[in-house]
Amino acid sequence: MTTTETDLLGKPLTEQERELLNIYEALKKLAARSDLPPCAASNVRKALMSMWQATNDLSLQFEQLYDLGV
Amino acid sequence: MAYSEYWNPKNETLPREELQALQLLKLRRFCDWAYATTPFHQRKFDAAGFKPEQIKTLDDLRRIPFMTREEWMESLMEKPLFGDLLATDSRNAIRYHLTSGTTGRTPIRVLDSMKDWDWINEMWCYGIWGFGVRPEDVVYFAFGYGSFIGFWGAHYACEKLGALVIPGGAQTTEARIKQIIELGVTTVFSTPTYALHLWQKSREMGIDLARESKVNKVILSGEPAGSIPAVKHQLEEAWGARCGDTAGMTEIGTIMIFECSHQPGGTHIIEDHFIEEVLNPNSDEPVGYGELGERIVTSFGRGFIPLIRYRTKDMVMKVPASTCTCGRTWDIYSGGIRGRWDDMKLIRGTNVYPRAVEAIIREYPAIDEFQIYIWRKEELQDEITIKLEIKTGHEAEWPDIEHKLTKDLASAHEGLRFNIERMDYGVLPHFELKAKRLVDARPVANY
Repeated sequence: MTTTETDLLGKPLTEQERELLNIYEALKKLAARSDLPPCAASNVRKALMSMWQATNDLSLQFEQLYDLGV
Repeated sequence: MAYSEYWNPKNETLPREELQALQLLKLRRFCDWAYATTPFHQRKFDAAGFKPEQIKTLDDLRRIPFMTREEWMESLMEKPLFGDLLATDSRNAIRYHLTSGTTGRTPIRVLDSMKDWDWINEMWCYGIWGFGVRPEDVVYFAFGYGSFIGFWGAHYACEKLGALVIPGGAQTTEARIKQIIELGVTTVFSTPTYALHLWQKSREMGIDLARESKVNKVILSGEPAGSIPAVKHQLEEAWGARCGDTAGMTEIGTIMIFECSHQPGGTHIIEDHFIEEVLNPNSDEPVGYGELGERIVTSFGRGFIPLIRYRTKDMVMKVPASTCTCGRTWDIYSGGIRGRWDDMKLIRGTNVYPRAVEAIIREYPAIDEFQIYIWRKEELQDEITIKLEIKTGHEAEWPDIEHKLTKDLASAHEGLRFNIERMDYGVLPHFELKAKRLVDARPVANY
């Protein structure tokens, strides 16, 4: 679960933004694991890639993910 | 189904003060990232006495040194293949593309990670959604799918938003026209030149695209003509469809501007992902709305190769967002990309630098004088012809030169076809000083 309360501009997160950010953070945790089978690890990275776009477009985060292979 | 008019309603209608606050925040973080990870930027920032923490307002952008294509080329020639611009290990890349270089045969090579590549598609989503592409559309790409980045991003963007995608690929123009009709295509992606060629060829086949096809949108890229009123009008009449301009560059991987469905006579800047400055190319001072200048781009998307204050040499004229009725708060380049401040030429979507062509020609000692002649075939298609003279005593080498030079020039220019024409000795002008070997005989665009 995200502990962030606001977007990058300091505006309170909406309910849908909080949900998107929660999924994004959960995917980051999964992508950092080294014990996932290839079918899970690859698809988690793909999912994280997609959630990066949604959360970045909505100004919820602006960060790089290369250390996670994304 | 009712859709939002905007791909990202939150940021596309963000008040400009907030938009600028977002740009400032991203700029600070991105400079931090570039300085921490990229020797190229470390070196440049240090040489300019610039530190990312000096960025307090957007005006501080001007403290950051410019980045040029020449510096990029130098870096990758010193440290092949990618120079010292990579911010992370090349093993994190999933995609490679290139664009023709400014000198000789060395291209500019770029890498993208998984999320960078998806961001490239995301920018296309902003643009094509803004022009009206929806999941119900059947989309055709008149595109050859090579190492040139071209419409790759648009292809994946259409898949992402749920449209049915038909990759045209390596087919004849006739076969493409048949597919467009048979498959009920509603949206065509093409360069302006090729869109006109498709129309011309369809007429030869006895097909009236405006009447017999379902195409209602043609999305243009790769050449400035997409925003030249006369060309646009001709295309819209020919296809019986709205034509929307977009423009991008391999250096950022994607488009940074797009025409929305309100067709304001220009292209909106995707300002939550880019900072686009317009400067006087001589003084480097900012120019105001309505004045021509050089566009300088900072892109927040591709972290793999950070692009900060990159001098594009593109000629643009910025006007306020309010010029358009669509409700976006993003400023507009009136007339799209209007031309170049340098000698680069765009031929059927490919960048051609005369000095790079010359460097290749000079590898042939049997060639004496030459001329790069750019012209428009049947008012439709841009052509580039190298007219050349062979030195006396080397005439027997001509067949080999013709064959090999054609191949060499194409391979240094993403497969672009060059015409080679041998002239009788003494026909071409010979120069002692200030050689002028480039002739651009195409009609001048009228905005």
